[in-house]
Amino acid sequence: MKRAFLILLCLTLLSAGAAAESPSPIDIDLASLSGTVVYAQVYDMVMEPELYEGLVVRMRGGLSYFQDPDTKQEYFAAIIADATACCSQGIEFVWAGEHTYPDDYPPLGTEITVTGIFGTYEENGLTYLQLTDAEMTLGGE
Amino acid sequence: MIQTIQQYLQFPFVRYALVVGTLIALCSSLLGVTLVLKRFSFIGDGLSHVAFGAMAIAGVLNVTNDMLFVMPVTVLCAILLLRTGKNARVKGDAAIAMISVGALAIGYLLLNLFSTSSNLSGDVCSTLFGSTSILTLTKAEVWLCAALSVIVVALFVLFYNKIFAVTFDEDFSRAVGTRVESYNLLIAVVIAVIIVLAMNLVGSLLISALIIFPALSAMRLFRSFRSVTVCSAALSVVCALLGMLISIVGGTPVGSTIVAVDIAVYFLCAALEYFKR
Repeated sequence: MKRAFLILLCLTLLSAGAAAESPSPIDIDLASLSGTVVYAQVYDMVMEPELYEGLVVRMRGGLSYFQDPDTKQEYFAAIIADATACCSQGIEFVWAGEHTYPDDYPPLGTEITVTGIFGTYEENGLTYLQLTDAEMTLGGE
Repeated sequence: MIQTIQQYLQFPFVRYALVVGTLIALCSSLLGVTLVLKRFSFIGDGLSHVAFGAMAIAGVLNVTNDMLFVMPVTVLCAILLLRTGKNARVKGDAAIAMISVGALAIGYLLLNLFSTSSNLSGDVCSTLFGSTSILTLTKAEVWLCAALSVIVVALFVLFYNKIFAVTFDEDFSRAVGTRVESYNLLIAVVIAVIIVLAMNLVGSLLISALIIFPALSAMRLFRSFRSVTVCSAALSVVCALLGMLISIVGGTPVGSTIVAVDIAVYFLCAALEYFKR
């Protein structure tokens, strides 16, 4: 009895030993991951953004837009729905080149694929995530 | 499929989830057999709701490490529930129901009134159904879960004979000098620890499934306490691993996928028992 439990415990602890840190991938392709893993990956990027600074990230999600009423600054993001549809994650992006909203952008909620360089910026004492120098295409192109 | 799994295993948080999920499944199945045999199957549900309420209070009070608050409260309620004697004015099942719904309601009420989170529905969803909580563990949480799991398994192995005796016949155990109250207290504390750990894996509404399904499946195939416990532990670990892999590859919610696998295995065991007759 005790031996059986010790074997089970050893097997599970051995798998814990395999969970050592591995180098971060050069590119993070959120568009190719399942909804569950996308949520976890973006959560990790939010919690430890320094690990991802400068990496090229590709993501697919619905276009979202916000304009600060005071500063008139415009913000664009791709919102990625998760498996349970309650914990959606989004990352802001800055489309490379000169573009004006709404003329050059698709309607809000349209599925877009964005590829850009991951970074952070500070605003009003808070840290925000952002993909800069981004390319945007419609759907899963 | 294998390549996809290998790709996902490159992510540290996926590996952490598999390790912690396996350990939690192992721990929950060990005590599951005892709870089912003692007719306490529903206590996991009650305590998980208590843990939800405690987590809500910890959130409102801005407690940095909510486990330091949630764990003692859940342990205290577990002791109160398991020690409810025959002379209590509120009997066992009624007490569980009362504490269960009470804690759930108060927890949700407090979250709505005082929560400072920007994503209340996400927080509630994660706590109740697990969602993707198991995939968002920090390294410290992984080590804490591993340490607590080792303690739970060690306690079960060390006190296996006493737990066996108390599970089947409390009166006889008491007559031969076993400190039944102390072992019931130990079981209560261990259950509470498992409940708090398992909230990360399947959420507070689905914890009962993690505790009772492997035990019930094993009971379909085996008769002795030892065989049922070993089989329950093996089934629980396999179901949790399979459920997590399906969830990660298929993008389904982790907790409910694990429970769905547990249900499927239960019916498989029931079919095996039927054909063995």
